[in-house]
Amino acid sequence: MTAVVEAPPSPEPPSTRTRAQQRSSAWKRRAPLLPALLFTIAVTQVPFLVTVFYSFQSWNMVRPGSQHFVGFDNYVDVFTDSVFLGALGNTVTITVVCVLVAMLLGLGLALLLDRQFLGRGIVRTLLITPFLILPAAGALLWKTTMFDPTYGLLNWAFGIEVEWLSDYPLAAVMTQIVWQWTPFMMLLILAGLQAQSREVLEAAQVDGAGRWRTFVSITLPQLSRYLQLAVLLGAIYIVNSFDAIYLMTQGGPGTASTNLPYYIYQRAFEGFDVGQSSAMGVVVVALTLIVATFALRLMFRAFDVSRGVK
Amino acid sequence: MAQVAYAGASRVYPGANSVRAVDGLDLCVGDGEFLVLVGPSGSGKSTALRMAAGLEDVDEGAISIGERDVTHLPPKDRDIAMVFQSYALYPHMSVRDNMAFSLKLRGMPKSDIGGKVEEAAGLLDLTTYLDRKPKALSGGQRQRVAMGRAIVREPSVFLMDEPLSNLDAKLRVETRANIAALQRRLATTTIYVTHDQVEAMTMGDRVAVLRDGVLQQCASPRELYDTPRNVFVAGFIGSPAMNLLTLPVDGGAVKLGELEVRLPAPAASGEVTIGVRPESLSLVGAGEDGFDLQVELVEELGADAYVHGTLAGHDEKLVVRADGRTPPRLGEAVRVALRDTGEVHVFDPESGLRIDAD
Repeated sequence: MTAVVEAPPSPEPPSTRTRAQQRSSAWKRRAPLLPALLFTIAVTQVPFLVTVFYSFQSWNMVRPGSQHFVGFDNYVDVFTDSVFLGALGNTVTITVVCVLVAMLLGLGLALLLDRQFLGRGIVRTLLITPFLILPAAGALLWKTTMFDPTYGLLNWAFGIEVEWLSDYPLAAVMTQIVWQWTPFMMLLILAGLQAQSREVLEAAQVDGAGRWRTFVSITLPQLSRYLQLAVLLGAIYIVNSFDAIYLMTQGGPGTASTNLPYYIYQRAFEGFDVGQSSAMGVVVVALTLIVATFALRLMFRAFDVSRGVK
Repeated sequence: MAQVAYAGASRVYPGANSVRAVDGLDLCVGDGEFLVLVGPSGSGKSTALRMAAGLEDVDEGAISIGERDVTHLPPKDRDIAMVFQSYALYPHMSVRDNMAFSLKLRGMPKSDIGGKVEEAAGLLDLTTYLDRKPKALSGGQRQRVAMGRAIVREPSVFLMDEPLSNLDAKLRVETRANIAALQRRLATTTIYVTHDQVEAMTMGDRVAVLRDGVLQQCASPRELYDTPRNVFVAGFIGSPAMNLLTLPVDGGAVKLGELEVRLPAPAASGEVTIGVRPESLSLVGAGEDGFDLQVELVEELGADAYVHGTLAGHDEKLVVRADGRTPPRLGEAVRVALRDTGEVHVFDPESGLRIDAD
């Protein structure tokens, strides 16, 4: 009994020594990563903290010396600004509609591409092209060659005269974004389709499933991971859409097609209101984080097809 | 319950030099029979099975199941169940859902499905795993789920495509016996593809040997072993393989070293190919009737030892079965005798066909 009582004190000093040694060796191993970490902090976290700091200031660059601390005033203003709320609504509409439409189109195209036919390589390359074009170039292309009221292809093809960009500004912008992002969705889903085991599909056929049933019960559940990834990545990129709106509609007419990135840009670089635009930036980051972590997770739980046939 | 009949069925892969994967297959599998399709890789055995399943097109000829011509029917209308080499379980479904899937598609009421699945699971010792996903099962359990998925359907034909090739050796022997017993109990017509001739010999009522898409012989395992129709079947069935030697005929006999072997069958041409199984040969004392063999390799298997060697004075290789307790040493010269001239198989060296005594 005494031996047991006496035993604990002696092993303690060596264990702390080894722990210290372990810590120093761990630091030695991690030290080479330090520059990268510092760089990342410098270019992402520091600007964010500076933005948070600005968001508590009233500061318009047009009036030098006006900078002073105002607490949460900027945030209150942001949430009572009807233009901001409108832009928020537009952002949500653009993101949800574009992601869904691009994903459905991408799924359809991927299903068509996931079979043998003559000239498959060429068709695949052509379908990917919109994704390879510079976003600004794509936006200009749609603004001029497609939507232009006098010499646009759309009016020529349908024999009508519609001012697409001023009559349907949001739809026009969304068309361009969908066109741009469908190939991305298609590629992701095609990868998922081709990762399927052929024997599993054949087993479903033998089990008596037709094409539609195989698609719904076997293919779609196995694709769910790829679809989730496509939705997540697509949403992250499309929330930040700027090129299309800046080049096609300038957010107009009025603020009809203004989304959050474009509105923040306007307030910061056309209104020079650093305080207000910083507050908006912080709000957007917070909302995006909430959506990314909670809303999407909730959505996938609701539509969780990977649990199998109920 | 039904019989399966291939009538001149061919599968031709198109291309510049089109490949006949299965070439004019004529084969009838009787009601309740266990037929094994065996052959080396690329022999078209899997393709033949997949043609019956409806997963490969039939380019020529016809296939019927029962009285029905199913040549151009989709798999789901053929009333078959298939066990795949990779098992092809639905990864996102539990074992229960995997087995119930086909019954659900058929619109069977839920209570009946539950009963059938439980029954099949009981038969295969899977009851405790019903709520697991395939990912959480061992190889042998997955194999049993694949079997269960086929059994619950109560199809008229089972099609099995090398279902044991992903199991380890011990489990394979065990499962082999289980499948054979299960098939006998259910008495469902079964076509079983394998490249393993031990599986073919032990499981099948009849065995069909394929080579390059052409049926070589279809017979009971015993008959295949005792009277192979040609050199290919003779060399393919049996382990170790039959010794095949092409020798000149001299007065109705060939010379194996010093040993003169009277041919049981008359040879037409100046040469014949003779086949002697390793167990038809035995080691004897020096000076006895026989021939000398230079030992090059001894494979000891416990009960038996297989002695590989070269015929003295020739460069022909031979395998002899010897007693496992007293095998000869490497480099030694041993005397080998033939048990019985009746055990010598004679083939035409050009066509490869068997030449029979009568």
